[in-house]
Amino acid sequence: MLLLELFWSFVKIGFTSFGGLSMIPLISSEMISHNWMNAHEVSDIVAIAEMTPGPLGLNCATFAGMRAAGLAGAIVANIGALAPTFTLCFAAAVFFEHFNKNKRLAQIMTGVRPACVGMVAGVVIQLALANYADSTGGIHVPSLILGLVNLILLMKFKISIPKIILFSALMGVILFGVIGL
Amino acid sequence: MIWKLYFQFLKFGAFTFGGGWSIVAQMKELYVEREKNITDEELLDITSIGRSLPGTMIGNIAMFYGHRQAGFFGGVACMFGMITVPMIVLIAITTFYTAFHSNIWVASAMKGVRTAVAPVILSALMGMIKSAFKIPLCFVIALAMFVLFFFFNVSCVWLVVIGAVLGLIMCEYYERRRGIDVTA
Repeated sequence: MLLLELFWSFVKIGFTSFGGLSMIPLISSEMISHNWMNAHEVSDIVAIAEMTPGPLGLNCATFAGMRAAGLAGAIVANIGALAPTFTLCFAAAVFFEHFNKNKRLAQIMTGVRPACVGMVAGVVIQLALANYADSTGGIHVPSLILGLVNLILLMKFKISIPKIILFSALMGVILFGVIGL
Repeated sequence: MIWKLYFQFLKFGAFTFGGGWSIVAQMKELYVEREKNITDEELLDITSIGRSLPGTMIGNIAMFYGHRQAGFFGGVACMFGMITVPMIVLIAITTFYTAFHSNIWVASAMKGVRTAVAPVILSALMGMIKSAFKIPLCFVIALAMFVLFFFFNVSCVWLVVIGAVLGLIMCEYYERRRGIDVTA
């Protein structure tokens, strides 16, 4: 039953995501509403998935599936996330010529892309609220400052994402482990 | 043929960091330049369709190429080849994470890493914005979907469906009333 729920969650995630981070809002709400993960763990998957090879969505599926139901969970979550590839994409491959110039698809994407922007903006705020909070629910200032430093390194100095994540891990060990902030 | 595709994609999958573009570059090098199986334009077509269909872009591209070379099972072979290495890596990391995430050093490192997540998603969002707002109405859609998602907890599935319907209506309206093809 758990496996079936997990599979169905990732089928939904697969069919409503269009590359890269557009998967995050749905992963976040599915994982949190089923109590498979909390907001911190969702942030952890995003970071881990960005650091390791392979597409973000499938890496999230493996991590979430393993956490919720072990190895079998990882496999069903991956197959669920790949469901659109088995079905829609296969159909498109068969009718390649026809699909290539499909205007309806382009029209649909004109509305779907801004919708994804809206959802991703929402998830950024949700994760930020969890990640920059202290245990009492107030703002954890050292985390917030480190976050701002990361934002500047990323946007202004164009440092690559894996480097940013390694840097943050190191800063985390120093600030929260050694100094104990 | 099936196994050859499987192992070629196994290798692509192992070296795919940071999104789908690195796999496209690897495919270009092997299939366009060395094996000459497909042309540059065909690869570009496959990529643009893979991107606009739901699901992971790389999975879709693998399915397309594999299907072209060896039918449905060719597509399946490419897809599974591509996910093999990432899946093994992630299984190992998740096992480690589950065992050690309450260890003080691992927990501190993860606490640091979490501060980077919102900035990382925010910077990707800036990239999405460039291609997302073709007409001013797109801003309204983005804002409305944000409000529905964040304040009313409306399911993402519905938001994508609403976005798709609005996209169709908007484009048709622009084309019929104003003679502008938004999708061009």
